[in-house]
Amino acid sequence: MDALLAIWSEIPRYGQPALFNLYFAIASLPIGFIFALGLALGRNSNNRVLRGLCSGYIYAFRGSPLFIQFFMFYSIMLALNPIWWRPMELSWLMMNPLFIGPLALVMNTAAYTAEILYGALRTVPRGELEAARAFGMSRTQVFRTVTWPNTIRIAWPAYTNEVVFLFHATALVYFTLPVINAQRDIMNTAQLMFERDYNAFLHFSVAAIWFLAISLLIFFIFGRIYERLMRHLPPDQVPARPRLRFRPKYIR
Amino acid sequence: MGEDLAFWWGYLTNGKHLQWYASFRFTIMAALFGGVLALTFGLLGAMALRSRFAVLRGIGTVYVSMVRGIPDVLFFLFFPLAFEQGVEWFVSMSVCGPDSTPNAGWPPCREANWLLSTPEYLTLACVSLGIIYGAFTANVINGAMRAVPRGQLEAARAFGMSDMQVLTRIHIRQMWIYALPGLSNVWMLLIKATSLLSLLQIADIVWWAGQLGSPNFLPQAGLVHGDWRWAYFIALFVFYILVTLLSERVFRRLTAWARRGMPVEA
Repeated sequence: MDALLAIWSEIPRYGQPALFNLYFAIASLPIGFIFALGLALGRNSNNRVLRGLCSGYIYAFRGSPLFIQFFMFYSIMLALNPIWWRPMELSWLMMNPLFIGPLALVMNTAAYTAEILYGALRTVPRGELEAARAFGMSRTQVFRTVTWPNTIRIAWPAYTNEVVFLFHATALVYFTLPVINAQRDIMNTAQLMFERDYNAFLHFSVAAIWFLAISLLIFFIFGRIYERLMRHLPPDQVPARPRLRFRPKYIR
Repeated sequence: MGEDLAFWWGYLTNGKHLQWYASFRFTIMAALFGGVLALTFGLLGAMALRSRFAVLRGIGTVYVSMVRGIPDVLFFLFFPLAFEQGVEWFVSMSVCGPDSTPNAGWPPCREANWLLSTPEYLTLACVSLGIIYGAFTANVINGAMRAVPRGQLEAARAFGMSDMQVLTRIHIRQMWIYALPGLSNVWMLLIKATSLLSLLQIADIVWWAGQLGSPNFLPQAGLVHGDWRWAYFIALFVFYILVTLLSERVFRRLTAWARRGMPVEA
């Protein structure tokens, strides 16, 4: 009972740190998605060079740990600091964890999302594409009215998983980048509190509760969007939306 | 040109670099033992999920779904700490008395303090990798068990096999072909998680890369080299991509092996 009370009373202390995790996720998701769409279309294109470049990028960033990618981007930024950023007076931006963090996350999530979107692009029903072309639609029209709506509907459940995993990946940011002043995320706060009184069970449980709560919120919001995307189908034909309950089809 | 080559050869084989190369053993051991443990926990978790007893099913469900809501790095840090504190608590029950050195915070007295070194941390890291990725594996295996055609199991039962025989001779053996794509995914995740070893104070490849690349200043020689960390981290980036490439090949072989005699086109 005391333990539960201790957990309950510590929960509000993580509110502000959680904002940093949310910032990293929200700052990188939209840009990452647009970048991913470009990568997926590039990988699906008929141009050999473009296809090779996009596939290579996706493979490299999916095949290496995000932890290493953070270190890599940070050290490259450090090396470029004396020759580029300082003369251009951009150090305040380029060396800021609030910039490098989302930068690395964008590069990473773009690769994972591109893989999802590419898989979805390949499963767009051929008949619909042919029908659209038979109507005399231009390539842009075909993309806007057939390819895109199909792609996003097929990809949405997998993309929901990716968003949750990206949110979890924000826990790694401050293990690799310097912590400035009170800019601490959830994991960092948990570690700081742990070093004070060595109560691993209390502090890590509270951190876990925060991650769990925000993950559930993401599943809820993305589930509602999925329902909206699928509103043309009768309710019994809509494939199950992703939940906390595990499904065998997942990525990452 | 020859001088340059000699310099780089000398630089890349100096004592500290050799220690760096030797530290790859931690990563490889963590991946292999972590993988074996993950498979073990995964099989146990899948058995729990499919068990007849509701309590076991509940435990299995909680175990499998926890990795969906909570980041792996949190578990990776928490399990070793929790285990260490559990052992210290256990020891303190018998060791700590009125005449032992009191200690503020944890553990209750100095005598109960357990100082962990690299082998212990590596073992604990393997176990936490096993637990985390065991949850993913349990889910994959559970799905694969369900994918085995019912007719196969019914035929086995019709031949008079006991439940245990059906499970070990037919069900688990036929499940691999359905599980392998998922297991390959989990293995890739596990390899990538081995880069986190330095968080448990193990001097692994990532830690050494940071040490070797930092600006190197010697009082006698001046600045030996500037900040070369970017080169070391790009090397690690490439290393992990190569490991992924190699794993994919191995899994392709495994799939070909598991598919022999099976009526599936996976």
